Amino acid sequence: MVTNPNAGPDVSVARGVVARFEKQYAVYRRKKQVTMALFGGVFALCVIAALITTKFSLWTLVEGIPRASEFLARMLPPIRLGTFGQDFSAWYWGAGEWFNSLLNTLLMAYLATILGTLIGGAISFFAARNLAHNYLVYWIARRVLEIARTVPDIVWALLFVFAFGIGPVAGVLAITTHTLGAQGKLFAEVNENISPLPLDGIRASGGNWFHEMRFGVLPQVLPNYLSYTFWRFELNVRSATIVGFVGAGGIGHDLFTAVQLLYFADVGAILLIIVATIMAIDMLSEKIRHSAIGKASFSH
Amino acid sequence: MALKIEKLSKAFGDLVAVNDVSFDVPAGQMIGIIGRSGAGKSTLLRMINRLADPTSGRILVEGVFDAPVDVAKLKGKRLRQWRAQCAMVFQQFNLVPRLTVMTNVLMARISYHPTLRSLLLLFTPKDRAFTIRALQRLDMVSHALHRADELSGGQQQRVAIARALVQEPKILLADEPIASLDLRNATIVMDALRRINREDGITVICNLHLLQTAKDYCDRIIGMRKGEIVFDGKPSDLSDAMAREIYGVGEHGAGEPADDDVELAFTATQTSTSAAAEPGHEKVAKVG
Amino acid sequence: MTSQLIEITEADIAEERARNPGAFAAPLRERMKAWMAWVAATALTLFCLHRFGFLSGDFLHGVAKFGDTVISQMFPPTGYESLGMFLKAIGETVAMALLGTLLGAVVALPLSFLAAKNMTRSRPIQFGTRRGADLLRSFDYLIWALIFVRAVGLGPLAGIMAIAIVEIGTFIKLYSEAIENLDRKQIDGVTSLGGNGMHRIWFGVLPQVLPMMLSNTLYMFEHNVRSASILGIVGAGGIGFLLGDRLRAYELREACLIIILVVLTVYAIDYLSKFLREQLIGDHKRREPIDDAVQV
Ligand SMILES: Nc1ncnc2c1ncn2[C@@H]1O[C@H](COP(=O)(O)OP(=O)(O)OP(=O)(O)O)[C@@H](O)[C@H]1O
Ligand SMILES: [Mg+2]
Repeated sequence: MVTNPNAGPDVSVARGVVARFEKQYAVYRRKKQVTMALFGGVFALCVIAALITTKFSLWTLVEGIPRASEFLARMLPPIRLGTFGQDFSAWYWGAGEWFNSLLNTLLMAYLATILGTLIGGAISFFAARNLAHNYLVYWIARRVLEIARTVPDIVWALLFVFAFGIGPVAGVLAITTHTLGAQGKLFAEVNENISPLPLDGIRASGGNWFHEMRFGVLPQVLPNYLSYTFWRFELNVRSATIVGFVGAGGIGHDLFTAVQLLYFADVGAILLIIVATIMAIDMLSEKIRHSAIGKASFSH
Repeated sequence: MALKIEKLSKAFGDLVAVNDVSFDVPAGQMIGIIGRSGAGKSTLLRMINRLADPTSGRILVEGVFDAPVDVAKLKGKRLRQWRAQCAMVFQQFNLVPRLTVMTNVLMARISYHPTLRSLLLLFTPKDRAFTIRALQRLDMVSHALHRADELSGGQQQRVAIARALVQEPKILLADEPIASLDLRNATIVMDALRRINREDGITVICNLHLLQTAKDYCDRIIGMRKGEIVFDGKPSDLSDAMAREIYGVGEHGAGEPADDDVELAFTATQTSTSAAAEPGHEKVAKVG
Repeated sequence: MTSQLIEITEADIAEERARNPGAFAAPLRERMKAWMAWVAATALTLFCLHRFGFLSGDFLHGVAKFGDTVISQMFPPTGYESLGMFLKAIGETVAMALLGTLLGAVVALPLSFLAAKNMTRSRPIQFGTRRGADLLRSFDYLIWALIFVRAVGLGPLAGIMAIAIVEIGTFIKLYSEAIENLDRKQIDGVTSLGGNGMHRIWFGVLPQVLPMMLSNTLYMFEHNVRSASILGIVGAGGIGFLLGDRLRAYELREACLIIILVVLTVYAIDYLSKFLREQLIGDHKRREPIDDAVQV
């Protein structure tokens, strides 16, 4: 295929090489095609099985469209330009309570981020292979983080509501638990990627384990910790909007009630609040991440 | 302070990195340890500082604690006290990259304060003044507030030596301090070590890859080979034949892998030293 | 030259302090800033703790209650006679995740070209698509599920739609970012051969971005199995329905069994997804932070 026309005396040798290459390449392609076909087949089977299991029907979906659009229409009550003020305040009749819930939602996310990050961060030192000296401790730390992370936050919320009753405490604890698992795992990975050399340096001048962590590890990992924490806060705001569905506080509670009672206008109003908040938080957090901290301590 | 190493050994699994090594270190000497890559030089130094635990043997120290002590058996606080008395300088400097030079050097004082105090960086003005004086000796004061990773390798090594000084050690161990440096910086660093040894009377034990550097700077040379000491004496007593033995020349049969470190070892200070430090050279090079 | 700490006098300290003030203390402004940040964060934390009642005796009471009436009521897990039903529900959960992810990916693929700066010349369209995607993403799966349950009724369909809608948003973002990062030269090559827009996308763009897209899609599938496992709590099908039911009925032992099954499923799917990534695209490299954050 790519024989050089100027190859001269070696042309036959080159042809031989090319022929062999083409043959191998054909075999390789064939193998790849078979693999792809196999994966494709299995995938198609899975999709079909899934369609059957879930009794997926386009018809129900199509049927749902008018209902959904009616839903949407009723979520946005008529707001005329002439009477904008009145219409809007009529729509947001519950504003006082909703914004209080929103504040609670944000504070829940904040508190859970702080608590979860502190606890997860502390555990991450024991869950990093290079820092934990005791294998049993390491193993336990890893399992704790795994369980905290894998059980969904809403399930934690359900469990905490049993003990702490309806309200934000259960929500904060649920999000905290999930956060400590997620942060602990990420932090442990950051910890495992540090350079061990400074630790030797500190140990060699008489430092103990705490000195090693504080001066050898922390300066290396802190920038990553911070950016993960900002990120986690964004995610936790989202979580805090839903734990209210099961009674764990925040604006999710208002939303759930409105949906249950079919107060469509309220649903629309609350969803708008949520969207505006989440977008604002995302933008703000991105800005902070990229500017202040970005330049000060994230530069490598 | 005097150090007496007795039948010290270290094994990593089946591999005996340091084998039954004994020697005395009187106070104030500057000793160069030479040997080819893998001879066990680093392992020996790390055992003396106790970054590595000896498999067997004793490291007797006099004049540091109230009574003579076997450092090989120290634990906990006493062990850390020993490390504070036994400063170490590394080939890769081992500074904390994101902290300032000042903080890096101040860390030498951590063992002199209660843990909580040092964790909060509450060092005394005296510590700080002393740190600046130490940086001055190594001509690094102007960089005191720079981050360690903003410095060149030579500068970082000078900071590391300043840190060692601020520890106020009785003995300074240097593990190939110049192997990552260019010739000019290597000279600056070796001169500094020599000066510290002379002016402060601190014992210096220095692993060196190059024979010539050891001859130029040290009072005494210890040659190691396959974990054992094969030479221990004055530089002038080290014959070419002995050097060849240390570096394992002339032993290889035809076609057997040999070591081109040796060439570099003999041409010494003329070349950049870092090339010689690459392990694995012996696998590619052949003796002609 | 001073070579011992003990020789340092007050005069020496004063001298060095005058010459290198920065070595003794950070500038006042910086110290103030750091202090204020700490104080503000701590104060806000304490305020939250107080506001939510963490500092009251009720909280300690709750902790005790959590220990002896929740955790201890969960073990040992029971309900093995319902195992068949649970497993079927888990199958439904995975199926929901699969269909939701697939649907999201299929819809997002064409839209992601609209949302990519280097593919769409019209700024309003490009920006509008991006914002639209953000809008879809800003609601949690559960919120969408809650709404879809009203629209299409109880059952897995609502869950599939909830996942699909969020994934349309996520995939538009991820795909369009992948498209924006691609190598111009290969597309120019196709153009130089006389290819039109479709050709450029088919031969110039897709081969470059496909591995990345596939990898992201697998990650999201993995993630969506977790999400799908709880959608049933609001009636959108899958194992979450049974879990919510058992929890509300205070049948904690059975709930525990379900949680264990969910966790095992999540692990199994993680391994499967890792295996597939390696097989299909040889994706051995470490996870990017974005993947991790999306994932956990
Ligand atoms: N932590 C360890 N685990 C296993 N083997 C080790 C370890 N450290 C060193 N070794 C082995 O011990 C032997 C001696 O190593 P050492 O680092 O002391 O040699 P060296 O003389 O300092 O060599 P170099 O000049 O390359 O630094 C080598 O064979 C090395 O592979
Ligand atoms: Mg070495």
